[in-house]
Amino acid sequence: MNNRFIVKPELCTGCRSCELACSFTHAVDGVRSLTRITPIDGGFKDLWVPVTCLQCDDAACIKSCLVNALKRNPVTGAVELNHEVCVNCMACVAACPFGCAVLDTQTNLIVKCDLCGGDPACAHFCPTKALEWKPIPKAVKKTG
Amino acid sequence: MIHITINGKVVQAKDGEMLLTVIRREQIDVPTLCHHEAVEPSGACRLCMVEITKPEWDGWCDYVTSCLYPAADGLIVNTHAPKVNELRSSILDMYLARHPKSPEIRQLAAEYGVLKTQFEEIVDGNNCILCGICTRICDTMGFHAISMVGRGHGKEVAPPLNMAPDACVGCLSCAKNCPTNYIEYNVSNGNLSIWKKDFKMAACKECGKTTITKEFAEYLSKNRDINIDYFENVTNVTEKN
Repeated sequence: MNNRFIVKPELCTGCRSCELACSFTHAVDGVRSLTRITPIDGGFKDLWVPVTCLQCDDAACIKSCLVNALKRNPVTGAVELNHEVCVNCMACVAACPFGCAVLDTQTNLIVKCDLCGGDPACAHFCPTKALEWKPIPKAVKKTG
Repeated sequence: MIHITINGKVVQAKDGEMLLTVIRREQIDVPTLCHHEAVEPSGACRLCMVEITKPEWDGWCDYVTSCLYPAADGLIVNTHAPKVNELRSSILDMYLARHPKSPEIRQLAAEYGVLKTQFEEIVDGNNCILCGICTRICDTMGFHAISMVGRGHGKEVAPPLNMAPDACVGCLSCAKNCPTNYIEYNVSNGNLSIWKKDFKMAACKECGKTTITKEFAEYLSKNRDINIDYFENVTNVTEKN
């Protein structure tokens, strides 16, 4: 884990470029997928909060999966869902306290942010740099 | 790492890996009905049959279910040999005789050129092909609520004693992964009924949207150490706007 995904809500304008980037990046056979990131109204004027998977350390989705379809990728640190193993029991969808594992009703597959395998497309497309994919400074890195 | 030949192409495989895993990784289309990555293979549907041979076998070849056959060094596999296609179509012919009403079976049989069965159709039969995906998934998830009951003609998937199973939490994994969509369930007004058992759905505190049953939420929170409040919170952030 050399990089981390940084979200700065104060810079978000709610333009939803991230949603488009996500949808098209995860498209299968030319069909857009459900977005894994969405800016929601922060409650104040012009405050938007881009909500996406936080890749929790003690993730409820991993704990809730009874068939071990959800695993952490040791390289990117993202919790990844293996669709071949998933049995669509919806436990992770219900367990995620942020609502970030969602059912794509078009394909009937559960989708969640996988950090695009280590290069999130939303960070590239964010015009105000509210979303960033940055190297972790050495002092912050966990030792051992 | 070992090397096997699939349809004339040399590919790498791990020792002891099942042939079907390697075939699927090479993106070769081999039909299956009873295969699911979450559970152990059982070789019930027989559709993943392939032809295997080795140079030292002097032209002799064998027909095996690839989901249960471990890859070995130097193995030569043919997934669509004429004899294999013949085997598959005769298996599908028999499926079609037993489950003539199943659209999934009809479609798969049509792909292999079987449009009408040469056997006598069982008209009043059901669509359960007894592949065991439902029971194996239920066992893997740790519920053991349903199992195969009876033998021969009377074999069927059922809960113990054909009564509402205590162990079932209504996760619907059996119904959603059934290859012929045979298992019936009913979701309406926050209630779910499956296997003759009724469940209440856990509703989101804010929007009232339901995802899983209360029993399943309680089971997960008890056995998997998840805060029960998590199941009553937002279930889908993309619908919040």
